Amino acid sequence: MAILFLDIITTASILFVVAAGLLIVFGVLKIINFAHGGFLTIGGYAALVTTQLHWNPWMALPVALLAGLVLGAVVELLVVRPLYARPLDAILATWGLSIVVVQMITIAFGRGTNFVQSPVQGAIPIAGDTYSLYRLIMLGVAIILGAVMIGILQGTRLGLTARAVIMNENLSRSLGINSGLVRFATFSIGSGLAALAGALITPLLSVDPLMGVPWLLNAFMLVMVSGTSLISLGAACVVLGGAQVAISTYSSPVLGALSIVVLAAVLLRIRPAGFARA
Amino acid sequence: MRHLIPAAIAAAAFACFCATVPAGAADETVKIGIPVGLSGANSVVAPSVVQAAKLAAQEINDKGGIMGRKIDLVVADDGSGADGAVKAFTSLIFQDHVNVIITMETSAARNAGLPVVARGKTPFLYTSYYEGRSCSPYLYVDAWVPDQQVASIVDYFMKEKGAKTFFLAGSDYAFGRGMLEFTHKYITAHGGKVVAEEYLPMDASDWTPVLSKLRADHPDALITSTAGGAPNVTLTKQLRAAGINVLFGNLGVDEGTAKAIGPDAAGVYISQSYLTTIADPQNQAFKAGLEKMFGSDMKTPNDLSEPEYDGIYLYKAAVEKAGSFNEAKVLSELGKVSFTGPRGTITMDKQHHAPLTMYLGQVQQDGSVKVIQTFKNVDPGQQCPKLKS
Repeated sequence: MAILFLDIITTASILFVVAAGLLIVFGVLKIINFAHGGFLTIGGYAALVTTQLHWNPWMALPVALLAGLVLGAVVELLVVRPLYARPLDAILATWGLSIVVVQMITIAFGRGTNFVQSPVQGAIPIAGDTYSLYRLIMLGVAIILGAVMIGILQGTRLGLTARAVIMNENLSRSLGINSGLVRFATFSIGSGLAALAGALITPLLSVDPLMGVPWLLNAFMLVMVSGTSLISLGAACVVLGGAQVAISTYSSPVLGALSIVVLAAVLLRIRPAGFARA
Repeated sequence: MRHLIPAAIAAAAFACFCATVPAGAADETVKIGIPVGLSGANSVVAPSVVQAAKLAAQEINDKGGIMGRKIDLVVADDGSGADGAVKAFTSLIFQDHVNVIITMETSAARNAGLPVVARGKTPFLYTSYYEGRSCSPYLYVDAWVPDQQVASIVDYFMKEKGAKTFFLAGSDYAFGRGMLEFTHKYITAHGGKVVAEEYLPMDASDWTPVLSKLRADHPDALITSTAGGAPNVTLTKQLRAAGINVLFGNLGVDEGTAKAIGPDAAGVYISQSYLTTIADPQNQAFKAGLEKMFGSDMKTPNDLSEPEYDGIYLYKAAVEKAGSFNEAKVLSELGKVSFTGPRGTITMDKQHHAPLTMYLGQVQQDGSVKVIQTFKNVDPGQQCPKLKS
């Protein structure tokens, strides 16, 4: 039972880390960034490069974050900004961008599956059993990430302007807030977070050009049911991720793999606001 | 019947086109199609398969080709799955007009490719070990099936290690399920007990629920059968990271993948028909040839790549015996000819399958495989009793 509980909260943590970047971009820009999976993949390959250079495995995190921030900034300027007035086209453009990212990575690194060195090895004893140390670290990472993001949004000038833009962009612009700059910063940070998430999940998994696809789908559904609030995202991750683990454990992992998508769709049908306070 | 007419016209047009090119005869090649999983689950092993094919083709071409025709390899990515395989087979057979398909693929891709092969009446030499009992007049297999492989691991675990309870885990597709269903029956028939049989989707990489169940069940031994490549690696890494220490037999890992996993694979038992450490001169020549051709880019040859090399030579032997590239004639000879390669002499004369020598080995700390027992010329058993071979 203790192990099941750990499985649920660590799975929720991983989902939260993956979906956080997508959520803030959706909150401010009102578009779903379908290149999120592509940025995630870039983070995974940043970790791979770190491994190949024989750097300390923890260096993968700042390297991935930086790569994501810079690429996100470039993409915002070249691809997303011209399409702000056409959100549907922007979704299409980010989708196309993710295909470009996958192909660029394939050209540079090949189609093959690669492996990244884990910064920590092994397991620690918990409740009379052993549990993967890295998964427990992911729990800590998710809590810190959530706390820092909420702190920035609630406690800083940048967060205040971002929240203003989230609530009413036209009104905030009339008050002199440079909403273009807020959008730029948000997209860049969101992309950085996606790449960071990619680097964080790779020690558990493997790195290949399509690694972002399954994560994008789950992150997309989680953001759909959470609206723009980080707290609701956390709740959605625990509930839907928990359902995934429980279904996988007690029924079949094949059904478990579908659970987030199916449950999120059902939830949106019953309660369109999802986990957000409507 | 009606749809045959345009095909006949197209064939006639193609024949005319050929006849108008006078240089055709000298430049004519024999095209070997290789649909293989360059992306997806098989991407870890696919490059070694392509290298084995290139080596065989170069060796044969240097000696004048097959009946005077040089081999032209056409490689297509099947994405390790059914959708990609249909596209790859269709384009190879109906666009590139390959003479034969010789390849290692996932079972999902093979099953998807078989109807395309039947439509094109193209010989298909499958060079991957698989779950067995895939039967088609167009299909020949030069790699092992569970009847040849499972017994060695299970017997060793039961007799030498005293294992009584087994936990089975695999990828949810034809190979994963086929291997484990056979293993399940074999264990039960020999007095052992299977405590669980668990599957994960083929492209899934998070084994958490399976590992939690494994921990709760405390079996004497774990036997896994995943898609070759990435799932093996994620499973082994997560198993070790979770600190689970159990007798571990892997039905779906090859030597190259074991090396890619690194120290986490140490201690795992495998049973294969090819190991790099086989001492015969054919294997030494095979390894030296790969090294000379690819240098530092050489991939470790393994049980999924070496049969590709044998397969191309077996096709050559069949064409030469038939005295023709005619598909039907080649197909009727494929089950009769032999080739002596790194794995010994291979003849696909048992209902389109081949008796093979199997090696039970254990992965060492440095990724090499230590042979524990050798089983000579293991018969594939009743694979396709309805086929006249």
